[in-house]
Amino acid sequence: MFNKEKQPHRKIHWLIHGSLITVCLIMLFPIIIAVIESFKEQQDIARNPPILLPCDTPTQTFDITACRWSTEGYQRVLAIEHDPSALFGFRVTGTLISVYLGNTILYAVATSLFVVLLAGASGYAFSRFNFRGKRLLMTSVIAITGVPLLTNLLGLYQMGVVIRKSGLPFDDRAFLITVYVGMFLPLSVWIAKGFFDAIPQELEDAALIDGCSRVGALFRVIMPLAVPGLAAIFLLAFVNVWNEFLAGYLLVSQNKFKPVMYGLYNFLGQNIINLQVIGAACILISLPVILLFLFFRRSFFQAMVEGALKG
Amino acid sequence: MAQQTLSTHHDERSGWLSKSLPFWLLLPMAIVLFAVQVYPFLFTIWLSVYKREPTGWVYVGLQNFKQLFSTSLFSQSIGLTIVFLVSFVVLTLVAGFVIAYLLSRPIRFTGLYITLLFIPWVLSAIIGGEIFRLLVLPTYGVLSGILHNPHLFPPDGLSVLTDAPPQPWIGNFPFPPSAAMVLLILATSWRSLPFITLLLLASIQVISSEVVESALVDGANTMQVIRHIILPLIRPTLVVAIFSLTLAGMNGVGMIFSLTGGGPGTQTQVLPWLLYSIGWLQVNFNWAAALALFIGVINLLLIVGTLRFTRTEDAHV
Repeated sequence: MFNKEKQPHRKIHWLIHGSLITVCLIMLFPIIIAVIESFKEQQDIARNPPILLPCDTPTQTFDITACRWSTEGYQRVLAIEHDPSALFGFRVTGTLISVYLGNTILYAVATSLFVVLLAGASGYAFSRFNFRGKRLLMTSVIAITGVPLLTNLLGLYQMGVVIRKSGLPFDDRAFLITVYVGMFLPLSVWIAKGFFDAIPQELEDAALIDGCSRVGALFRVIMPLAVPGLAAIFLLAFVNVWNEFLAGYLLVSQNKFKPVMYGLYNFLGQNIINLQVIGAACILISLPVILLFLFFRRSFFQAMVEGALKG
Repeated sequence: MAQQTLSTHHDERSGWLSKSLPFWLLLPMAIVLFAVQVYPFLFTIWLSVYKREPTGWVYVGLQNFKQLFSTSLFSQSIGLTIVFLVSFVVLTLVAGFVIAYLLSRPIRFTGLYITLLFIPWVLSAIIGGEIFRLLVLPTYGVLSGILHNPHLFPPDGLSVLTDAPPQPWIGNFPFPPSAAMVLLILATSWRSLPFITLLLLASIQVISSEVVESALVDGANTMQVIRHIILPLIRPTLVVAIFSLTLAGMNGVGMIFSLTGGGPGTQTQVLPWLLYSIGWLQVNFNWAAALALFIGVINLLLIVGTLRFTRTEDAHV
């Protein structure tokens, strides 16, 4: 909006930087506290009144050389056991990592792949073809984004009960992945349509004239150009599934198939006053998605703005 | 007809394919959405007019709705939801706009600021709730030393997760909000703020610099530029922002799970938490279905209302 060459007055300049730094600090404050807590010892956690940094001595309130940092919290989350037969000579026995994290990785990868496939196909169809009922179908897809998950959860829960009784070869994991695909698909279809709209029709026409079939043109010309958009949809779905709690908690009956957010929630009840353990668990579970976001932030931003403003 | 039979075999085949291709491309999506979104929704409607009796499901008409609406928990929850939703939407929107405006100024490091600001969005609701809980936990929470101080919070300090609610000003309407409610609003807002900021920033950035600069040359001050140029031009985005905040506020229970659990008492029992509580803690799916439809209708009214409100405003401008 503003002309980039014209810098504002120096004073205003610093005022803006100052306010933005303050805002960033406020936003990151709870996370910083969680990191600090996760590296404290039990005796510093249980202090009354609480202290911010575990760096006080009997004589001084702050002494950088006396800081008592510890990885006890992380050790208790991971519960590493020595095991010579394992791949690296040790095993992680904490259920949060050894059971629940694996489930979540499976759910997130499977859901994101299906979402990319289905959203890619239907986004392409919406972007390139005219057919009867197109408007109606597109409006329905938007309308579905307005239906709260909570409303559908009751019906989905009953469906899960029926599927479990029926003895179909369709266990809770397959059911949950299907539900996740359906949850994150509508917005992804819109994002995909936006990305396909941005690829010029002329490229495809040229390929068709040169004797390429429609499907051939899709795979040889359009797909390579659509890869960044589809990757953004994959990432967004991945992070959403990673962070999803309620459906995974309510729709899966066996604990061993529940996702990591359930594991974390369950963990809280077991560690009411061991704040270093809770902090460590939160940091460990959110680290993968934070890193994913930091590496691919452009894709995330593009997909989110696309999805929100077109939808 | 005759012409069609005359066309070559190759043309006919590709014609058939390109005609039915969109159908095959869309079919899987339609099946999944029907199974996961449409069918459960219809099932919820069915549940809301039936009741589970020992003999099986019995049709009861609107009885579930009547019984639900007459409970005191429901009317209390409505008040809490209004307080929560209004504070949450207003706070997030205002803060988001201010930050987006600052970020739209021609300064360096905006990319860095946006990245840092965005980290709360990447954390899940469960984790967000938990790290806010670490701050205010009675006795051990990092801020509890400050919050328990009776000089700062008279008369006898603040214990966010255990204090009784303050005396309401009007009837039973839960205003002023309890400390736990304020915490829930702040935490929910904290998680939604990055996305709203990004959304508003994207729409402020497409406003042409000439419009703003000519207004500044004509002697308009910053507030006038914001009020008469920026806000009217980003109105469609504001609607999208209100839309997504309302949906997030009406449906987000993840944070309540790890932050307050609906408590202390029923102080943070907003409608979505009440739905969870009736459905899965009291195992009354029929009441829960009635409540779910009620929430759905309120969502719809809020969205339509926002659209209408902004459209009539447009007519005046």
